Amino acid sequence: MNRLVKIFSLFLTLFIMLSLAFAVTSWGVAKIYAQTPPQGPLSPITCPKTGGTLIIIHWGDPKSFNPDSQVDDALYGMAPAIFNKLVTLDVNYNVIPDLAESWEVAPNGSTFIFHLVRNVTWHDGYPFTSADVKWTFEAIKRYKGIAYSLLNMDNLVSIDTPDNYTVIFRYSKPFPPFISFLAWYGTFILPEHIYNKTIYKDWMDPSIPALTKPVGTGPFRFVEYVKGDHVTFEANPNYFKGRPCIDRLIYKIVPDPTAALQSFLAGEGDVLNNRPPTTEIPRINSTPGVIVQMRPVPSRWYMAFNLLNPILADVKMRFAIAYAINRTELVVKAENGYGYPAEGMYTPAIQWAYNPNAKLPPYDPDKANQLLDELGYKRGPDGYRYLPNGTRLTLRLDIFTGAESEAIATLIKEQLKNIGIDVKIEEYEIAAWEDKVVKKRDFDLAILDGFQGPDPDNMRSRFGPGAYLNMANYSNPEFGKLLNEAATEPDPQKRKELYWKAQEIMAQDLPYLPLVDLVAFFIYRTEWHNFYWQMPGVEGINCFERVWWEKGTPVQITTTSPTPALTTTTITTTTPMTQTTTSLTTTSVATTTQATTTVSPAPQILTQPILIAIVAALIIIVAVLALLLGRRRR
Amino acid sequence: MSLARYIISRFFQSIFIILIIIIINFIIISSAPGDPVQFIAGDIAIYNPDLAAYLRAKWGLDKPLYERLLIYLTNVLRGDLGYSYRYSEPVINLILERLPVTLLLTVSANIMAFVIGVLLGVYSARKIGGKSDTFLTVLNFFLWSTPSFWLGIILMMFFAVDLKILPATGLIDLRNPKTGIWFYLDILYHSILPVTTLTLITIPLYYKITRDTVIQQASEDYVTTYRAIGFSEDVIYRRYVFRNSIIPPVTVFGVHMGFAVAGAALIENVFGWPGVGRLLLDSISTRDYPVILGIFIIIASSVVLTNLIIDLLYAILDPRVRIEKR
Repeated sequence: MNRLVKIFSLFLTLFIMLSLAFAVTSWGVAKIYAQTPPQGPLSPITCPKTGGTLIIIHWGDPKSFNPDSQVDDALYGMAPAIFNKLVTLDVNYNVIPDLAESWEVAPNGSTFIFHLVRNVTWHDGYPFTSADVKWTFEAIKRYKGIAYSLLNMDNLVSIDTPDNYTVIFRYSKPFPPFISFLAWYGTFILPEHIYNKTIYKDWMDPSIPALTKPVGTGPFRFVEYVKGDHVTFEANPNYFKGRPCIDRLIYKIVPDPTAALQSFLAGEGDVLNNRPPTTEIPRINSTPGVIVQMRPVPSRWYMAFNLLNPILADVKMRFAIAYAINRTELVVKAENGYGYPAEGMYTPAIQWAYNPNAKLPPYDPDKANQLLDELGYKRGPDGYRYLPNGTRLTLRLDIFTGAESEAIATLIKEQLKNIGIDVKIEEYEIAAWEDKVVKKRDFDLAILDGFQGPDPDNMRSRFGPGAYLNMANYSNPEFGKLLNEAATEPDPQKRKELYWKAQEIMAQDLPYLPLVDLVAFFIYRTEWHNFYWQMPGVEGINCFERVWWEKGTPVQITTTSPTPALTTTTITTTTPMTQTTTSLTTTSVATTTQATTTVSPAPQILTQPILIAIVAALIIIVAVLALLLGRRRR
Repeated sequence: MSLARYIISRFFQSIFIILIIIIINFIIISSAPGDPVQFIAGDIAIYNPDLAAYLRAKWGLDKPLYERLLIYLTNVLRGDLGYSYRYSEPVINLILERLPVTLLLTVSANIMAFVIGVLLGVYSARKIGGKSDTFLTVLNFFLWSTPSFWLGIILMMFFAVDLKILPATGLIDLRNPKTGIWFYLDILYHSILPVTTLTLITIPLYYKITRDTVIQQASEDYVTTYRAIGFSEDVIYRRYVFRNSIIPPVTVFGVHMGFAVAGAALIENVFGWPGVGRLLLDSISTRDYPVILGIFIIIASSVVLTNLIIDLLYAILDPRVRIEKR
């Protein structure tokens, strides 16, 4: 028995150490990635090999194919295949060019000039011009598109198009986060010639054909959408960055994360977009031909204190709780080591805005106990603390359903029990949780996760005074003033200082307690290359235009690209990492060059008729049995 | 004559029932916490109050409940189930395009489970107390208490990931799309795992009922009488006991068939099967009221209709039940 415990604890420590080491190295790797400088203007697509069908296992159904009208995270994941934005974000959340090859910000910070790429066409052959851009943003303003408040549309004075390839946005006030938000959500450029017809009520009128058969400028053309099953795209030969390397891009929709993982492992997909349970990561990584890459993302779990509760309104109480929570334990146990304990008030993934000096209280239960004693909450015989009026110190912790939130809540309950606070976990479905916690503010403690980028202006909508999502009711006027100033400060250096100061104030008040900084997993088959997470500065997030397949047809450099100088350089940079594999595969591919797209795994073709035969036989047997029974009765 | 009148009265009764179901559902769904606008106008991080107000006005969600109910009822009576909030497509299209694959799953699984369950139940009842009876009872008890999604994942891991002889998820093979007859065979091939899972989960239902009824029937006086007369056991069971015992399983079968249009949400979710059950599940979690109500109307109509059919079927299966005698 004793030996078992020993072995078990040995394994546990080994596992924890390994996962910690893993986390640290991946953080380091991510740092190196982050240092590669963003490249200049548009880099054309270069393909070492072409052909193949890339299948991405995706977690949800797109609602419509208008990416600007409503929140649609499932579509956001696939929209870059069909559409382009003026500018887009790379995997490090830096802004990179897309349809706008360059842009200027006037010194006053309220006028933005974009120079568009020339000779871009829509999938139906219409030329793309600045009129499409103007119409898109006017529609966002008119129909209250999802980017309406992100882009501060109330202050947008005019959109001018002096010529077909220039767009000028004029704001009434300086609006520095404009470019970042323009690169993020709900800002895909839509075709005016399809949407802008008088017979349509608005841009979600069900009679608009583009809502079911989208037309964009993107690298892939829409082929079909079988709701709940898959969305198919094919390469757009007239794409302005060059034809994508793969022939087809298919999103296969599997909502259940465990089933999606099995489907991926069974070889039905090449990329897994569903976030698998973190316990499965080592198993996935040890599967041959499959790789898991990790990257810190500007998303984190954090806890809100309801300042309307008189007990939590005391900053000492909030610090006591902060001292009692061991965030490293949360990472190790709730995230299986895949994540980082939060250290500061803002996410470190947005590096320039992160103030490392605005530190969270370290884990120190003695200090927590001391603070609670000072507050006069005495421990009773059962180990819990009691209010002066004799009731037990009890706090409700409201969470929404989910494996991670449950794990974090359970750990917090245990950790706070150690300092004598009784935590009652109340779990709700997310819509009910939002109603109770965010709208009605009826809670004591609440935990949630969320994306903190792409610009620190996000803090205003999460923690700003009067913000919808500011469920803690945090309303330090100085903090609010700093955020508002930062939102309109054109000078980046001054903006940074304002945000740093705001974080320091927040760290003193501690209305929210950041818990865990998350990592994103990129899970894919190694026979595919040039994913967006490998190409910061070049490739936009969620875009697969540069992906190429080892088993595709090799490309002769002279025939494909008009700029040979560029292709040779990129090829020399891409070959080293695939040198061992390419030398092997090129020989085999050379003999079968003609077999381009159709990959036919032999065993499947063989087993399929056999299985159909078995099923048919079963049905026949059942039918015969039923017949026999029926006859005997007579 | 009386049969026709019976059917007509049942028909009007059914319409009345469906109407009440719509009203109750409408009120329950509307008073549930959560707000459909919230899911379209923003997940909580990028909530857009302007869009929320715009959508509320567009969908009439700013009107009082009774007014919305009246509008909805008149629309339904005109045969219009409305537009989905999420997909901005007619609800009826959303349901109809998913119905075939759902019925393929639920109807075939239900029929297979019925046949296998009843056969096993009769067999078990005749060998009551024997080794095979004990084994079957334990096995069915196990299947009865197995969560469907878990069984689905286990079967998937074994047949798709380890043996690689069956596809794990989806409706068709996306890597090698098929055409013509092979397209339908491909769907059939992909339906093996979900149908098997659903069948395994449903068998115990029929097994238990059949076994219990057969055991109960076997202790009736008429069986003793027949035995005394000297009928062979086979004849007694096949001709009399079986016929008397088949009514309860058929009732359950009918009720299940009525729910076939509702799909099997959990199994559809696990196998990425684009059925009605998953549509309902997604619609509930995003408060897509028109779709939820539309599916409920379809389910209610189907259940009411199948109940009618079952009542008529009784007459054929069991001569004792005659409509004229009511």
